[in-house]
Amino acid sequence: MAFSATTYAERATGRSAESQPEVAAEPLAGADAAGSPILEVIDATHVYDGIVALDNVTVTAAAGEFLTILGESGSGKTTLLRLISGLEKPYRIGALRLGGVDVSSVPAFQRNCTTVFQHYALFPHMTVGENVEYGLKVRGVKPSARRGRALEALRLVRLDEKYDRRIHQLSGGERQRVALARALVPRPAILLLDEPIGALDEKLRVDMQVELKEIHMRLGMTFVYITHSQEEALTMSDRIILMSRGRIVQEGPPAEIFDHPANRFVASFMGVEHLLDAELLAIEGAMATCRVGPATLVGKWSGTERPAAGAEVVVGVRAERLHLADEAPEGVNMLPCRLGSAIYKGKYLDRTADAAIGDLKIRLWDSHHTSENEAIAWWKHQDCMVMSA
Amino acid sequence: MSTAARQAGLVEESALAASTRFMRRASCWTFWPALAKALGILAMAAIYVPLVWLAVMSFAASPLSGIPYPLTMANYAQLIGDERWVPPLRTSIWMSAIVALVCMVIATMVGRAITRMRRPGPVLLLTLLPLFVPGLTMGAALFIFLRIMMGLTLGLWSIFVAQLIWALPFSLLLVLVVASRFDLRLLEAAEDLGASPWRRFWEIEMPLLRPGILGAGIFGYLLSFNELLRSLFVRGVETTMPIYNWAMAASQQSQVPIIFSLSAIILFVTLPIMGALFWFLFVKLDRD
Repeated sequence: MAFSATTYAERATGRSAESQPEVAAEPLAGADAAGSPILEVIDATHVYDGIVALDNVTVTAAAGEFLTILGESGSGKTTLLRLISGLEKPYRIGALRLGGVDVSSVPAFQRNCTTVFQHYALFPHMTVGENVEYGLKVRGVKPSARRGRALEALRLVRLDEKYDRRIHQLSGGERQRVALARALVPRPAILLLDEPIGALDEKLRVDMQVELKEIHMRLGMTFVYITHSQEEALTMSDRIILMSRGRIVQEGPPAEIFDHPANRFVASFMGVEHLLDAELLAIEGAMATCRVGPATLVGKWSGTERPAAGAEVVVGVRAERLHLADEAPEGVNMLPCRLGSAIYKGKYLDRTADAAIGDLKIRLWDSHHTSENEAIAWWKHQDCMVMSA
Repeated sequence: MSTAARQAGLVEESALAASTRFMRRASCWTFWPALAKALGILAMAAIYVPLVWLAVMSFAASPLSGIPYPLTMANYAQLIGDERWVPPLRTSIWMSAIVALVCMVIATMVGRAITRMRRPGPVLLLTLLPLFVPGLTMGAALFIFLRIMMGLTLGLWSIFVAQLIWALPFSLLLVLVVASRFDLRLLEAAEDLGASPWRRFWEIEMPLLRPGILGAGIFGYLLSFNELLRSLFVRGVETTMPIYNWAMAASQQSQVPIIFSLSAIILFVTLPIMGALFWFLFVKLDRD
């Protein structure tokens, strides 16, 4: 095989442990009294046909946390979820603990976690009720008790009226909610959600985000949620882990990932429109000064370690933080520019501008702005991010 | 006109090759559905007229004459009086039941395995190839292998082997049709919910494969019950229903009229049973 096992061991992440205390999850009844994590995946490595899907990844989740694993397809997020559920056997793993117990050699059907699949995987030959009760049936719960608990779970997703329906009679959104109820009914320690609302249309997706968040708060269950949508991740999570090519790129609460991307990849994934290659001139306290072409810009340092002056860095700013004016105020970054076309977007106006460092996109919320050709684009130092390349 | 037609995206007839023009016109002829109907009726007649004729002739005084009159129950009376056909019928019923059962089990196991393979092509080809081996060839090959090479005494067991080889590829095809449509992710979902491998099979996979497995059993039974060519070679001293019928029909004996009535009885018993079975399989189960 093309890879060697020892290389993975040498690249210890070590980062995840530090960011743990930020999580404000309260230990629940039934969780470990010492507040130890309910889920621990330590140094997981997985390989498919010689391709590394997971590269020495360590993930922990506190009881009651809503943890989102964010990444593009092929980033290894689904593999990670399948390792936790047990549907995939890891190539190599340090430890896999659920509620403090090592389950790395326990088969999937004996683990106390359930999954909501992206493709729902509802049993077509059973009714809605039979689907939801299945997790209880295999645990030997009596039919009468099963029915009560299934109805309770269906009520939670507002589908208790459809107990006797067959699966093919349901809409996509209803199937998704049945899948959710089915996974909730056995009361697992951890609920794994694999892009559960990815197949729904936009309106339903937004509704389901709110609904999922409410269910999470009501049940106090630990959710591990997989998505490729930064919007979903930001809306629902207590903490986000951003993955790329089988490795963790950054993790932290939504606001931190959104406002302090550690490098160009994170920033571009989180939708920062302007990312400029720059040379670091100086770094003092939280603020970094750098040169981008002819301009000198000041911004907050958001990378991981602090590089020395002269290092290659990236300056990032969001389109909505840029302002246009004839004269810029004091103590801001500014660039003279020539205005280009305007695209009307209803709530706002996207204006392109040609500056010395390249094209800019400026999002204007008060659309009655200057139609002059020359202007100054400016933004606050606080709104300027400087990160690792 | 032509420019307008071209602008409208239409193709001018004259611009097309003669063969294309012919095909385009032929596809518009209105007698195609009528022709299809006529051919269908012809095919049905070819199947059912001889069957009905056989039933009618079973009441004829001398069936081989080709004239149904005078009608008589004499053939049936003779059939009841004669008991030589009973042991072959009993053998066939039991043999076919066992063949059908074994077909269902093997076809299910092999069908499941093939749909889980990464490259099922070669194995699939090997398992289905016996369908194309002529019956006489297969029978002779089995005889040479079992009797002459291995020196075994042939009997019911070798008839069973020959009929199984014949029926299994068909059964496998029927299971494969449903197994290839089965979503393996359902088993993962069941596993995730806590179902053991045994439960996953019986509660998730089996119910969804059932139409194919039952179909495999029915066809296994039918194919085994009617099998003659292979059984002839490997029968030893045993006789199945088709062998008995064939021997009786082929010999210049007075037994021929009995064959007519026997065939008629089997027809009247099996057709309604088969009809009911198919209705149950493909209409009733589908509706539930």
